[in-house]
Order: sequence, then C-alpha cells, then structure tokens
Amino acid sequence: MNIIETHNLTKSFGSVIAVNDLTISVRRGEFVAFMGASGSGKTTLLNILACLDTFTSGEVFIDGHNLAALDEEGRRVLRANKIGLVFQQFHLIPYLTALENVMLAQHFHSVTDEPAARQILGDVGLAHRLHHRPGALSGGEQQRVCIARALVNEPPILFADEPTGNLDEENECNILALLQDLHRRGRTVVLVTHNPDLAARADRIIRLHHGKVFEP
Amino acid sequence: MAGADPMFRRLVWRALRWRRGRAAVVFAALTVGAAIVCALAAVYFDIHAGMSRELRTFGANFYLGPAGAGGATWAEADFNHLIAGAPPGLVVAASPCLLGTAQVGARRVALAGVSFEGLRPLAAYWQVRGAWVAADFDDRNAMLGARLAEELERGVGDELTLTNDLADDAAKPLRVKGVVETGDANDRRLIVSLALAQEWLGQPGRLSHALLRVDGPPERVAAWAADVRQRYPALDAKPILRIAAAEGLVLDKIKGLMGLVALVILALATLCVNTALTASVSARAVEFALQQALGARRRAIVAQILAETLLTAAAAAAAGLALGWVLAQLIGRAVFAAAITFRAPVLPLTVTLALAAALLAVILPIRRALQTEPARILKGE
Repeated sequence: MNIIETHNLTKSFGSVIAVNDLTISVRRGEFVAFMGASGSGKTTLLNILACLDTFTSGEVFIDGHNLAALDEEGRRVLRANKIGLVFQQFHLIPYLTALENVMLAQHFHSVTDEPAARQILGDVGLAHRLHHRPGALSGGEQQRVCIARALVNEPPILFADEPTGNLDEENECNILALLQDLHRRGRTVVLVTHNPDLAARADRIIRLHHGKVFEP
Repeated sequence: MAGADPMFRRLVWRALRWRRGRAAVVFAALTVGAAIVCALAAVYFDIHAGMSRELRTFGANFYLGPAGAGGATWAEADFNHLIAGAPPGLVVAASPCLLGTAQVGARRVALAGVSFEGLRPLAAYWQVRGAWVAADFDDRNAMLGARLAEELERGVGDELTLTNDLADDAAKPLRVKGVVETGDANDRRLIVSLALAQEWLGQPGRLSHALLRVDGPPERVAAWAADVRQRYPALDAKPILRIAAAEGLVLDKIKGLMGLVALVILALATLCVNTALTASVSARAVEFALQQALGARRRAIVAQILAETLLTAAAAAAAGLALGWVLAQLIGRAVFAAAITFRAPVLPLTVTLALAAALLAVILPIRRALQTEPARILKGE
C-alpha cells in the first residue's frame, strides 16, 4: 500500500517549473531517497509532500489524504499527525534545552509528555544531554535532537532533507544508522540528498532532474 | 490549548530572557511613554487645585456688594452670615471693606477700612515697603498707598493724624507700618482696620463691599452666586470675570498642551516598540517557521508574541507609574510649588494607554510573523 502518491504533480514559480508532471509513489515502511543535483526540485518536492508548500497542478495523496482537498488548517493537522521533519540546519530553538525542543513538538501537536520526550531522546543516545541547550551540543547531537523531535509524535512518515549535510563523517554514519534503524522498525523514511553514497543506503532511489524523474 | 500548557509559559519566559536586549528596548520605550502619561495625567487631574493655588496670588475673583449705585453700604452681619454658610472649601479668602474719606492735616484723603488678615492672602501681588498690619484689631497702625504717601510726604515709620472737621477735639494718631504699591485705587488710599474705619466714618457694622477668593469649578461658583442673590436680593454677588476667564483659558491651554505632549510621546514610544518588535520578529523568522512546520496553529504564534509583548508592557506600565509619579511631583514642585495629589483615574489611564500602545505596536510584527513561509525560511532562503 502506498503511503505517498503523486500524479502529474507540477509546481512552478512564475516561469520556472521546479517540479514537472511528476508521478511517483512510496510504499508504507519503505526507505526512499530523492536524489538530484542542486535545482533538481527535490527539496521543492519534499516541501509539497510535507505539506509545507502548495502545488500548481496534479494530485498528491499522503496516507490516503488528498492534499488538493485540504485547506491550510487541514494541511497543518496532517503535517502535525503524519509527518516528521529533519532539517539540514537542525532548526532547534536556541533558548530551549534538548528536552524542551522535543517537547515543543508535543506542545504544538497536542499536550506535552515529558517522560515520552525523555524516552525518545534516550533512544537516540542523548539521555545524558537532556538539559543542554543547542549551543552546548555538537552538530551530531543537535541532529539527533532534531530526529527525536521529528519522531516524538510518532508520525508514520519521516522526511529528512540533507540530514547529514552539516555533519562530519562519523556523525554522518551515526545519523544514517539511526535512520536505517527507524526504517527497520517500520517507519517510512524519505531521504533527500545529492550524495549518491547516502542515497545508496535507501531501498530505492528516485533520481530527479529538472523536476522530472530521471532514469539513467 | 496553547495558553494552558506550562510549555507555553516556558516558551514565553525563555524567549524574553534570551532576547533580553530587544525586550529591554521595548521595556524602556514603553516605560518612558507610561511615565510621561502618568506624570501628565497626574498633573492634569490635579491642575485645577494647583492652578487655583497659583492664580490665588492674582487676587480676588469674586465680588460681594450692594446692588445699584455706588456709595451704598450693607450689613457686616450679612457678610459674616454668608461666609459662614458658604459650601465647605468654596471661600478660601475674604476681605470686607468700608470706603470713605477722612481728613489728614489739611488734606482730604480716601480711607479704606479692611480686614488685614483677610486681605493679605488676596493681595499677594502688592509690593509692600515696611510691613503688613498684622491684626484686625490693630487701630494704631495703618498702611499707605504709594501715591498718597508721596503726596503726604510720609514713609514707613512716620506718623499721621486723622482729624475731624466737625469735631475739633477728635484726632486719631496712626503710624505708617507699610507703604504699598498695588497698581490700583489702593495706591491713593489710607488703609486702616475695618473697625477703626467704621467708627471714624460713623458707620458701625456697615460695609461697602467685600472681595473674595473662591475655589472650585466655574459651575459651582456660579451656583453659589445665584444662591446669594436669591437670598439677598439687595446684594450683587458675581465672579470677577477677568480673573475667572483667564483662569479657565490658562487651564484649557495647559490641559490641551499636556494632552498633546502625552500623545506625541506615546506615539513615539509606539513607533519605537514597533521597530524593535519588527526587528525581533524578523530575527526569529526561522523560529516561527519551525513552529508552523511542527504544526503550530496561527493563534498559537499570535498568543506567544502577544504574551511576550504584554508581559513587557505590563512591567513597563508598573515602572512607568512609579517613574511618572516622581516626575509629577517634580513638575508640581517646579510649577505650583506644591505636591501633586494622586487621583484615581491616573492608574487605569496609564496602564490602559501603555497596553494599548504595545498592542498597536505589535499588530504589524504579528502580521509579519504569520506571513512567514516555512518552506522558504527553513530551506535557508
């Protein structure tokens, strides 16, 4: 069963077509990599699938929900319940601790649950860093907080946009291992990267070029 | 519900502490605005009393005397009854007066019998060489108008004698205790105690007129005047319009000026707060974009910015009240030489205007925060 589907999806910015008549699908529990050079449309595609951006034409289904039929509030609810986001720049709130950054996602989802937030940070190996602010954490640790935040509401889909782009090699391996582990435990993981070595860790690679699927 | 969650309070408090520099700018701008509003409002609501005290030095502002042609007199007992029956606090000074003429040597002079104790507060503007006659019962000392003193060639400490053409043996020696320059008819009068004048002029218990200083809103003064005229139809009771009108005009102008100054300062504070909050929201674009990406409702972001701003504004209003109160006292001392009394409307007015200024200033920053496009901002564009 597909958890993500697009049919003839197009997104244009004025005369620039970022995603061009794209039809793809991702099965539930699959680990897929969107790969392409800068400007290939992979981040634009991720933003649409993550309900952060709208599209110009076509159809998009996320876990059975037709995005075209949803208003802004509908997309917000879908994003809060079905999607976890991991960013290249981590985007942690600098004045909150690691624990509070994770609880922030709970706060905007429903209500905070500190034991659950502690548990998820423990799962990503940060049980000893709960009360540190982002400025006191390494890049790898910050990215693990970001992943914990993305997972704390137990969304079925995890989107990771260049999650290792700001990390050294050791932390890159750790983060990839973490994503693979999440996939093994049944989570659908969509990785966006321009790095072929990273993309190779996924079950399947969807290559993008000028907003279209590119078959080499 | 975002507001009920402890996380909301933590978010607001930590954000304020994290950006305390910008919060301090907002706090300072609103504190100055609130202080100015508080000080001017305190003066505004107390200015009538202050100005009345100040204008009291300009002299009497109310006339009581017989209606009709000049020269008539009326009973001192009526005067005493009127003053005793006046509403509490209305009459703050009163000077009954009997006018006539008397012989000093070969010269006939204008004589004024007054209550020195009542006259002195009404004649603060008189230039006195020597001293005032201190007591109403003093019938050995007199004050001399400056022009009459020149004509009689008398000065402070000199003696003069009242004589009576009709009774050769009648003579009353007086010592000149003070020479006064008043700028009015008193410059040509010999001023003695009321009792002495009544006796010397043969009009015991009679008055020519009385001058009063009455305090209070014009409506209250007019109502009392009407009441006096109704009870004593033979009497003329009226505000001295020149002083009363000047008082009202000055008050209106000062109040208008204070309102304008407060408005301008508040507008400047609002602009300053708006600038600081706009800069703050711009710097926090990623934060608000992330919150939206995490599923935050628009109202949760509005609530956070509002809470941060209103907390700062509330603290600024409290500081502004304290600072404004000190400022009001300084203004009171400098302008009216008196303390400003705290009036109840100052507190709600200051707090309301400070919060309103903050709310006005935060509208555009909130709009900007809500216009954040998460996809573009989180991508790093």
